[in-house]
Amino acid sequence: MGFIEENERERRSFIRKWAEYVRTHEDKDWSHQQNIIINSALKSANMTREQFFKMKKETHYIKY
Amino acid sequence: MKFIDKTTIKIDRELSELDHFALDFIDILKKHTKYVIVSGYVAILLGRARASEDIDVIIPKIDFLIFQSLYKDIKKNGYYCINAEKDLDIFEYLKDNLAVRFARKNTMIPNIEFKWTKNEFDEISLKNSIEINIGKFSICVSQLEMQIAFKEMVLRSPKDLDDALYIKDVAKEHLDFKLIEKYKEMLYGFY
Repeated sequence: MGFIEENERERRSFIRKWAEYVRTHEDKDWSHQQNIIINSALKSANMTREQFFKMKKETHYIKY
Repeated sequence: MKFIDKTTIKIDRELSELDHFALDFIDILKKHTKYVIVSGYVAILLGRARASEDIDVIIPKIDFLIFQSLYKDIKKNGYYCINAEKDLDIFEYLKDNLAVRFARKNTMIPNIEFKWTKNEFDEISLKNSIEINIGKFSICVSQLEMQIAFKEMVLRSPKDLDDALYIKDVAKEHLDFKLIEKYKEMLYGFY
């Protein structure tokens, strides 16, 4: 199995384990852990309008 | 997470910054029009362990006067449109079936990706939306079966396929798998 396939297999295995964790634990428990990922990602996100639209490939419709 | 019935899910979750952003915007939007949240944020609401820079929202086609009133309310509450400033310019984008984005002033991320229904699948998503209750808040999201089918048949990026896998696993006891297959058949060849 190549690196990409192995990486995908591991990623999908984790997703299934996490889904099982969410199903079997209190909402406050799993959401607290999930929020560490979400809040830190948003905190570190810092882009200009141009950078954002370039990333989204939507540079053709900005009127500013 | 409790699946109360076919159209209601109750989640007693701790709210993230993304949730606060989404719920705040939806609180404004729902005063003016119907809406449905689709794509990645649906999986995230259900617990998927990832972030997103945007939240996809579909609304029915609305006339300019309703849009003007909505946009005024959006601006009054501290948001701006990233694509354009003039209401007519934004409305023209929507009429051209393009999505426009709204964020809090002086920010770019997170933002709401906002578009009109443009085909029967958007209409189905809007018509068959389900409600997620989070404490005192309530939010309309696309039927999970449609989300799974759309991500597996149309979007198909690794992130979307992972979202579909997650939703199928986390909600497996409550999903109509025949309906997923029906939606997939309908989507086949459409996009």
